[in-house]
This record gives sequence, structure tokens and C-alpha cells, in this order.
Amino acid sequence: MEIVRDPQTRTGSDAVDVRASAQPTDRLEVSRKGPPVVSLKGLSKHYGENVVLDKVDLDVSAGEVVAMVGPSGAGKSTLLRCINLLEVPDAGTVTVGDQCVDAGKEVSAKDAMRLRRTAGMVFQSFNLFPHLTVLRNVSLAQERVLGRSRAEADARSMELLERVHLAHKADTYPARSSGGQQQRIAIARALAMDPQVMLFDEPTSALDPEVGLEVLAVMRELAESGMTMIVVTHEIPFARDVSDRVVVMADGGIIEQGEPHQVINNPQHERSQRFLRAVTER
Amino acid sequence: MNADLLSNWLEWLPDLGRGLQTSVLLAAVSLAIGIPIGLLLAVLVSSRRAAIRMPSIVLVEIGRGTPALVVLQLVYFGLPNAGLTLGPFTAASAALALTTAAYTSEIIRGGLEAVPKGEVEASQALGMSYRDTMRFVLIPQGMRIAIPALVGFGILMFQATSLAFTISLQELLSRAYSIGSSTFLYFQVLLLAGVLYLAITLPSGWLTGRLERRLSRHL
Repeated sequence: MEIVRDPQTRTGSDAVDVRASAQPTDRLEVSRKGPPVVSLKGLSKHYGENVVLDKVDLDVSAGEVVAMVGPSGAGKSTLLRCINLLEVPDAGTVTVGDQCVDAGKEVSAKDAMRLRRTAGMVFQSFNLFPHLTVLRNVSLAQERVLGRSRAEADARSMELLERVHLAHKADTYPARSSGGQQQRIAIARALAMDPQVMLFDEPTSALDPEVGLEVLAVMRELAESGMTMIVVTHEIPFARDVSDRVVVMADGGIIEQGEPHQVINNPQHERSQRFLRAVTER
Repeated sequence: MNADLLSNWLEWLPDLGRGLQTSVLLAAVSLAIGIPIGLLLAVLVSSRRAAIRMPSIVLVEIGRGTPALVVLQLVYFGLPNAGLTLGPFTAASAALALTTAAYTSEIIRGGLEAVPKGEVEASQALGMSYRDTMRFVLIPQGMRIAIPALVGFGILMFQATSLAFTISLQELLSRAYSIGSSTFLYFQVLLLAGVLYLAITLPSGWLTGRLERRLSRHL
């Protein structure tokens, strides 16, 4: 099945400019597949005294799969949540597709909604709507946000549920599904909005390792279909084998990034070495 | 004595039965008007705009802080001074609906706040508006959480209909009282009134348990 439209046609020209200035590292050009879909520039966020993100720049190209790894508290999740404005950054700009938000200015609810529409998000704890059937979970926002009819939305939902191998669950309630199934439903729900980028916030951390595999398999298929993805994860094998680029974060900043095997097998930064040793050699 | 009591009870039952009907109807009308207003107030009290939030909080606090009996008297005896004269049933409905709205708004707000934060985040991440998030995600789940407390409040409200005795509404207590004053069998007739109140409240409490299980089966 086809879920990605030609990303080139959807990306605004101003986003390209941002990319050029924000990402001076030549080495990264190799892994690029197309123009940036997500562009973060000078992104900063603090809670009181605690600096969570410190002037982070990140461009993610169309079709690129970026794995974000790093110790907890590094700001990975916050960075991800800033991309769809679940957290409002204190400074910097967030561009997703042709929607750009400047944190310095007042962000209107309308702008935030429009930007969120272009990014799909999958949470660690699934966050399905427990009072709605699986089908309604996937259809609701299609109807309310995209204005699709009930029939159109349900047809699209069934397609996506088939894609995550859960069409038979359509008329049940989420509580009747296992964690892995719920997470796949959550992926279908996010995909139903035809996002330009999918954000995954530790999608397998709440699952036991075996169940996590079925979620990773769906994510792998999604990556192969050409979806642009940013995945915050501790699943190092997934980062190594599926992603196009691994980004290591620590202490509110990106300390190292590059080709997955390179970064994982031969990290340059002392902090990444320590972290990757901890997750790979246990 | 026992045979006397039973025959007295049988004699009074039709009259008290009609009183019970009035009491049940009054409670039903008060709740049917009060709870939707309570829901509205719960949403308004959570509003981010101070101009909406503040008046709602004031209304809720006044409604909760004033005894239902005072509100009742105010509506029935006080409002005519301001040019608005209401019949006893209308006045009682209005007063109890106001109290219901104020109290249930807090119960419902508690329910809305008990919905996991991730539900709102998921709705936001899907690009849903605040209004749609409220309507399709928060309110359905929050109301389910609030239902046991709401039914408990409804049972209390049913008992509070006896306050309408003070504005000469012919509900259960006032009928019992007038029988008592003509027969001087206060103990016997008030006992029957108590039994009739229980005949409604006990099964309601039992039904709540079932309703609760039914509503929470997916949560």
C-alpha cells in the first residue's frame, strides 16, 4: 500500500532555505533522500532553571528515518514533542512541511493545529481513546480534522488497520487488545491523517521485548514505504538496521550524528561512547 | 398496635404515594436541568480565558456555599419582591436545579481532570481542536468517571426535595406532615414517609453499582 505522497510537492521553498543554513555538516548530505520535511532551528526549552534543549538544529529530509538515542533526560522526547508543539519551545523555529512556527512569537491555536496535522505522533503509552472502538479511534480525527465523511474515513481506517494486521479488531474496544496491538492501532490512527512525518516517542518502551518486535516490524515496513520518521528509541538494533541516520543527544543537545553503523559501532564523542556501551554491552 | 399501624399505612399510602410522585418528579426535573448546566459550568471553569472562568467560578462558589433551603426560600418568597412570582413546583425546581448545577459542576470537573493527560495529547497530536477534544474525548470519558458520584448526588438531591415542604409544595414530607397534624400519629406517618424515601434511594444505590460496571467495562 502507498502511504507517502511525493514529498517534493508538499515541501515549501522556505523550508529548503532553512535547511541550507541550519545544517552545515557535509557528511550528513550523503544520507539525505530529499528536501527537509522537518527543520528545527535554534530550538531551546527550559523548565525553570533546568535547560532541557539548548539551541538544537535538526533537519530531516523527506523519506529519511532518523533514530534519536541518548540517556534519559537528554531532551529527546522534549525535542520530539516540540516538533508538533505539544511542548512550546522558548526560542527557535519549527518547520514541518510548509508550516513554520516561530517560538519567539505568540503561537496561535490555529497555527499549532495546522502544524500538528502535518505530523503524526505515536506515544510510549499508546493513548488510544478507550471509550471508542478501534475503528472509531482511527476514524475520528479524519472526520473532525480532515473533513472526511464517515464512510471515507472508515474505508481509510480499514485499509490502515489491515496494514498493521489488525482489521479483525476494528469493532472491538482498545482494552481488548494487547499492548503491541494497541501500539499498532495508534500507528494506524496517526497514519490516517496522511502526515508528512511520523514521530515516535519510545514506541516500544512500555512493551515487553517480544511484543515490541511486532511494533518494530510495522515501523520497519513503514520506513521501507518511504515515510519520513523520527524515532526516539532505546532499540539499538532498530536504529542500526532501519534508520538512515542516528542522532545522539545528551544534556539538551545533539552531540553526535551520522550513518548508523558508524555512530553505533564507532562513536566519536566520549559521552556517546559511554551511552552506547551501556546499551549494547549489557 | 401492629394491625393498627398497617391499616393506617394502607389508608395513607395513596396520599403519600402521590406525594412521592411529586418528590420524584421534582428531583428528576432538578437533575435534568441542573446536570447539563453543571457540565457547562465545569467546562467554563476550566477555560483558559479569565473573562469566562471567573464568573463561572463565582457562580459555582455561590451555588455551593448557600444552603439549598436558603436558595429555595429566596426563589419562592424573595423573587416575588423582585416581580417574579413562581408556583411552588417551579420555584423548587429552579432552586434545586441551581444547587445541582453548582455541585455537579465540581463533580464533573473532577471527572474531566481524572482523564489521563495522554488522551488530550493524543487528540492534540491529531490536530483536533479544543472544542472537538472536549466533545469527543474528554467529556465522554470524564462523565463516565463522574457517574458514580453524580448518582450519589442525585440520591441526595432526591432527599433534598423534602425541603420543598417549607414552600407548601405537596410533596411526600408535606403530605405526611399534614396527615400527622390532623391525626397526631406523627411517628407512624413519618415512619411511612421514611420507608417510601428508602424505597427509592436503596434501589438507586444498587443500580449505580451496575451502571458503574457497565460504563467502565472498556476503560
